[in-house]
Amino acid sequence: MRVKDKDRGGADPWRVAWEKAAGGAVAVVDCEEKIPCNPCEEACRSKAIVVGDDICAPPRYAPERCDGCGRCVALCPGMAVYLLDRSAGDGTARITVPYEMRGEMEAGEEAWAVDGEGKPLGKGKIVKVVNMGRKDKTGLVTLEVPEEWVLKVRGVKDRVMSLEEPHEVSEYHGEEDCHLCRCEEISKSHVREIAGKGFYALAALRRFSRVGLGYCQGRFCQAMLAGELSAVTSREPEDVGTFRVRPPVRPVRLSRLGGEDG
Amino acid sequence: MAEVLSSEVVVIGGGAIGAATAYYLCKEGAEVMIVEADDLASGASGACDGFVSLQTKQLGSHLDIARESVQMFPSIAEELRKMEVDIEYNPCGGLMLATTADHLKELKARAKKLKSAGLEVEVLTPVELKEHLVEVSKDIKGACYCSADAQVNPIKLTLGLAQKAQELGATILRGCKVENIVVTNNRVREVYTTAGSIHSRRVVCAAGTGSNQIGKMIIVDIPILPQRGQILVTETRERMLDMIVSGAEYLGTKANIAELMPKDEEAIKLGLGFTAEQTASGNILLGSTREFAGFDNSTTPDAINAIAKNAMGYLPWIRDLDVIRSFAGLRPYSPDGLPILGTVKGIKGFYMATGHAGDGICLAPITGKLMSELVLDGETSLDIEPFSLYRFK
Repeated sequence: MRVKDKDRGGADPWRVAWEKAAGGAVAVVDCEEKIPCNPCEEACRSKAIVVGDDICAPPRYAPERCDGCGRCVALCPGMAVYLLDRSAGDGTARITVPYEMRGEMEAGEEAWAVDGEGKPLGKGKIVKVVNMGRKDKTGLVTLEVPEEWVLKVRGVKDRVMSLEEPHEVSEYHGEEDCHLCRCEEISKSHVREIAGKGFYALAALRRFSRVGLGYCQGRFCQAMLAGELSAVTSREPEDVGTFRVRPPVRPVRLSRLGGEDG
Repeated sequence: MAEVLSSEVVVIGGGAIGAATAYYLCKEGAEVMIVEADDLASGASGACDGFVSLQTKQLGSHLDIARESVQMFPSIAEELRKMEVDIEYNPCGGLMLATTADHLKELKARAKKLKSAGLEVEVLTPVELKEHLVEVSKDIKGACYCSADAQVNPIKLTLGLAQKAQELGATILRGCKVENIVVTNNRVREVYTTAGSIHSRRVVCAAGTGSNQIGKMIIVDIPILPQRGQILVTETRERMLDMIVSGAEYLGTKANIAELMPKDEEAIKLGLGFTAEQTASGNILLGSTREFAGFDNSTTPDAINAIAKNAMGYLPWIRDLDVIRSFAGLRPYSPDGLPILGTVKGIKGFYMATGHAGDGICLAPITGKLMSELVLDGETSLDIEPFSLYRFK
């Protein structure tokens, strides 16, 4: 599991990464934080990033093992990892950063490259957008930028308010559009639509719409859903029933249920 | 005076079987009323996994109707998609894993019989198994693969069939309980319900575990017992399991095959058998048990622990998933595990479609079609004599 110190060869990981990037994408770990955090270690299938037993230790990084998959980029909650690719050799480089807004990032278009503090450096061309299939919508955006920016670029934005004409926000339509069930991302209007089909009990509403079937199992949303269903069906909230509580009341690792510590 | 309703056919039960029966009746132009005590799929059809499995069926007529049924799913999926109901039908194939050499031997013998009955199954060595399922326990001695096995979302299937029936003119009475059935001159005449009386000369009992109670109303003993099956639900994940998977002892406890029974006593008591499928939403459903606990559909700590432990023995990687829920459903169990389809002697207009035990989802399409034929024409395209109520006497 562990990357032994001799494997790291003593060379400065950043220098190794820089040289390796001339041949293709490689992760650059820009983290000195002594905080309890290790998703990067979990993410790395090639064991290039290791936090070790002391979860507060900063990650140790062995770029020579990195295969440039980008999982660590999407998983690092501090956005402290990016992919560097200098293989083009025409004065441009490619930087891959996490992007978690539901904006309109599309390959072929332009987007703002920003530094670690969010200050715009200039526009680059979006080369690739990868949906990592994660619930939090974090995806990867690969941006082509002039090579001299690569030490500074740490993020991407689809627009920079201070530099552009503000345009209308169209995503959110107010209260109707808010999520009543956050785990399954089911909006109030959708709940209303389904409730209107004649399901009179909360349990039935759940079976057919998936509200309350997610990770929280209705612990957060049940009261709101009951209120909504009673409003649509013109009945008292207590008459629409409740979700049946089934064990485990909170999510439990399967190995523990199977009698192992884990 | 309570409201007086009437319908050409009354279907008692809004589960998969009742919905399928109503759907096929409506397609033939019949006027149908579904009477459901709670809500659609509130019984076994809403508390089960989505196995559409052929290799777990008993040889003979059970397998014959199941094969016919499986072929009907694609067209149903197609038709319901037009109504924007996705039943999540996935012809993914199914694996049955053997953990002991004895079990493998028995599976091989069974595979031979299934093959001669015309079902395509293949016995796999652990190495061949890797092509289908990358990470399985080292203890797996081999497996039986059936490419015709599939999965479906049972709730969406029930809802879709019921909605389509409704679109074709059926009425669905929710929260409406049958209180009595009136028979005069050896013919069903009327159904008393909590929503009033329904005049009808034809009644289909698709009441699942409630069938025994319905039978009593016409003084017929329909030998159905509730059999509890408990299932665990994991958190949602990316696609990890692209196939329905079961263990050999699952078949042992299901079809009562002595050679495939689990070894330890606790497991036998619970009727423990391994099943796993990943639903379209990404949850992995892990089963299951077969217990007799009356109408108690609680989940129990013993069973939850046993299912979790058993599952880790087959798919070790599953240990790292979070379990977010357990649920239990009551399957309508008949003494020989086969459904009860057909008429009752001496009473015209009463039909039974019940006792499907754990096969109701798989058999719903063919059951619906056969019942529709029986009710409207008096005869069926497949022989249903083996499923007669009178086989028990």
